[in-house]
Amino acid sequence: MKRKFVAAAGVAMVATLALAACSASPAADTAEASGPVTLSVSGWSVATTPEFQLLADGFEKKFPDVTVELKEYDPVNYNTLLTADLAAGSGPDIITQKEVKFVSTYQEGGQLLDVSDVEVPDGIGGTQAYEIDGASYAVPYRQDSWVVYYNKALFDEAGVAYPDGTWTWDDYADLESELSTALSAKPAFGGYQHSWQSTVQGFANAQTPKADILSGDFGHLEDYYTRVLGMQSDGGQVDFNTRNANQLTYQGEFGKQKAAMLPMGSWYVATLIAQQASGEADTFDWGVAPAPQYDKKTTGTDNVPVTFGDPTGLGINAAIADNKVQAAKDFLAYAASEEAAQALAAIGITPALLNDGVVETYFSVAGSPTDELSKFAISTHETLPENPTSTKTAAIQGILGDLHTAVMSGSEPIDSAIKGAEDRVKNEVGLD
Amino acid sequence: MATTTATDVAVGPSPSLRRRRSRLARRNALIGWSFILPNFLGFALLTLVPILVLFYMSMTNWNVFGTANWVGLANFQRLVGDGSFRIALFNTLYYSVLHIPLTFVVALGLALLLNSKLRGVAFFRTAAFFPYITSIVAIAIVWNLLFSPDYGPINEILRAFGFANPPGWLTSSDWAMPAVVIVSTWRDMGYYMILFLAGLQTVPRELHEAARMDGANAIQRFFNVTMPCLRPTTFFVTVMLTINSFKIFDLILVMTEGGPGQSTLVLSQFIYTKGFEESQFGYASAASVALFFLCITVTVAQFLANKRRSA
Repeated sequence: MKRKFVAAAGVAMVATLALAACSASPAADTAEASGPVTLSVSGWSVATTPEFQLLADGFEKKFPDVTVELKEYDPVNYNTLLTADLAAGSGPDIITQKEVKFVSTYQEGGQLLDVSDVEVPDGIGGTQAYEIDGASYAVPYRQDSWVVYYNKALFDEAGVAYPDGTWTWDDYADLESELSTALSAKPAFGGYQHSWQSTVQGFANAQTPKADILSGDFGHLEDYYTRVLGMQSDGGQVDFNTRNANQLTYQGEFGKQKAAMLPMGSWYVATLIAQQASGEADTFDWGVAPAPQYDKKTTGTDNVPVTFGDPTGLGINAAIADNKVQAAKDFLAYAASEEAAQALAAIGITPALLNDGVVETYFSVAGSPTDELSKFAISTHETLPENPTSTKTAAIQGILGDLHTAVMSGSEPIDSAIKGAEDRVKNEVGLD
Repeated sequence: MATTTATDVAVGPSPSLRRRRSRLARRNALIGWSFILPNFLGFALLTLVPILVLFYMSMTNWNVFGTANWVGLANFQRLVGDGSFRIALFNTLYYSVLHIPLTFVVALGLALLLNSKLRGVAFFRTAAFFPYITSIVAIAIVWNLLFSPDYGPINEILRAFGFANPPGWLTSSDWAMPAVVIVSTWRDMGYYMILFLAGLQTVPRELHEAARMDGANAIQRFFNVTMPCLRPTTFFVTVMLTINSFKIFDLILVMTEGGPGQSTLVLSQFIYTKGFEESQFGYASAASVALFFLCITVTVAQFLANKRRSA
C-alpha cells in the first residue's frame, strides 16, 4: 500500500514538474494584470479524446490573448492524480470534472471557485449535478445519456420489427430472448449487458419513482435484478460470469455483431462510427432507441423517456491567479455555448446543450443513423444523474458495486444482498 | 574501527598521533556515511517520513484538502465497529493461512527437486521462475480464462475426472479466495524456490554422508540434516512470505476487485478504497496503521521463536 502511494505520489510529482517546466512561469502571469494569459486545463487521453483540443482551439480563436494549455492525466487514475496535484498546490487552472461523484469532494475541500455567475444557455442539461447549497461549482459541456443501440441487420435477419420506443424493460427482456432464439444459428445473442453496475442500477435508480440511493433504501433494485438474472438464465444475453472470465468488451460484442441490442451511454455513437470506418467493427446498419422504461407512462415518442447519465463539466481551481479568473470564466461560458456545442456535435460528442440545430449537426456526421427514432432518442430524454452530488455518493456506490458483483455472479440472492447493502450503508456511511 | 581503538590503547601513542588517528577515524566514518547516504536519504524521504506522517494522519479526519483536524482515536474506534474492515481482516488472514504454508511447501519441494544434477536443470529452474517475472495483468487475464466455470480448461479437466459440479472459482464467493491463493502460489513459488536453492547449497555434504552411514533414510535425512541446516533460509522465507501475504493487493485488484461481493476484499484494498476512492485519508491511514501493527507483531513473534529455537 505504502509503496503504491509513494509510486502514485512520485508519478504525480514527476508529471507536475514536467508540465510546470514547459508551462509559462506563473510569476510572469501575476505581474501583468491584463494582456496575454495562459490557462491550463486538465484532461485525459488527449490523443483519443479530441474534445479538449477542440474546445481549446475554438476558444483561442475567439480570445487571441489567451493561450490554453492541456494538462494530460492518466484516464484511469484521473481523480487520484488530480487530487495529488491539487493537494500539492500545483493543480490546473481549470479542473475538468470527469466524474460527478468527486465534485463534492473538491468543493468541500475548498478547491473549486463559485462559478454561479458564468452564463450558460437556456435548456442546457446537467447543471444541477454541479449545484451545492444553491451555488454552481462547474459548468457542463457534455452530457451523455444512456440509450439502446440496435443492429438493424440482425433484426432483419431474425425477422423482428425494429424498436419503436414504446418498450418497458419487460418488453425488452421478451424481445431479447426472441432475438436470441431467432439468431441462435449465427450465433448471436439478443442483447449484451456490460458488467458495470450502471447497466442495472443506473436505470433502476433513475426510473423507479421516488428511488434515491442517498436514502439508504435499495428495495427498488429487486425487480431490476430479478429481471436481468432471468434474461441471463433464459439465454437472452451472455451471463455475467462468462463475460468476466472472457473479459468481453461491449465494443467487441456489438461491433462484431455478437449481440443485436446494447444498452450503453451516448458516447458510444462516436466510437461506433469511428470503429466502423476503421474496420475495427463490422459494417452494418444500426440505430439508437430510447432506454426501455419502468412502466408505460413514459414510453412512446409523445412522452419523455427517463434515463440516466452524468455530465462532464469544467470547474475553476480556487487557487487560480486573480488575473486569470475572467479568462477562465470566459472559457467555461464558451464550452457551454451553442458554438462549442455545434463543434462538439460535429465530432460525435453529445454536448450538454442539445437544441435542434445541435442535434442536426450531430446527425450530419458521416456514418451516423438517420432514422427519426435515433434522433428522438439522442435529443429527447429526462436524464437523471447517476451519482447524486453528495460526499456520501462514492461510499454508497462502492457498497452497491459489491451488491452488483455478488448478485450477478449468483453468489448471493438479491433480497439478502439488498438487506446487506442497506445495513452496510447504515453502519459504514451513516444516514442524514 | 574497533581494531584501531584497540591498537591505540595497546601502543599508547603520543597526543598528536592520537589526534591524527581520531581525525582518520572521523574521516573513515564520514566516508562510510557518505556511502550509505544516497540509500539512507531515499529511505528517509520516501519511507521513514511518510510512515511517521501516516501515524499522525491516522489520528486526524484529513480528506486530502485543507487542514487535518485532530480526532484522537476516533478512527480506530470506527475501525473496530466497521463490518467491512472486519471482513477485510478476516479475508487477509484467510488468504495468509492458505498461501503461506502452500507456497512454502511448493517452493521447498521445487528447490529439492531442482537441486539435483539433472540434465537441463537450468531450464527447469528458469521455467519455475517465469511466473514471478510475468506481468500481473497478463497473469490475471489468462487465469480468468482458465478458471471460467463453464468453458475453462480447469473445470473441463475436473469434469473429465468425474466431478459433476466443479467449483465456480472466481465467480463464487466460497471459491474465489482459494482460486486467488492458487494463482499467487503459482506466481510466488519461483522466487522462494531460488531462495531455498541458495540455502540448499550451504548444507554440508559430509553431514548427509555421515547420516547415510548411520543408516538414516531419505526422509530422516531431510528432517534431521537438511531442515536444520536450512533454518536461516526458512526463517527468512517465512518472514517475507508472511509480510507479503498480509500486504496482498495487486493480484486481488486485477483478478477479482474484492468480489464477488466482499468475498476477496483484503486490508490493502480496503485502505485503497477508503483513501483514494472515498477521500477519507485519515480513516484509511488508521487502517494502514492496523495493518502495520499486524505485520510487525507477527514478524516480532517469528523473530522471538527463531531466537528460542537457535538458542
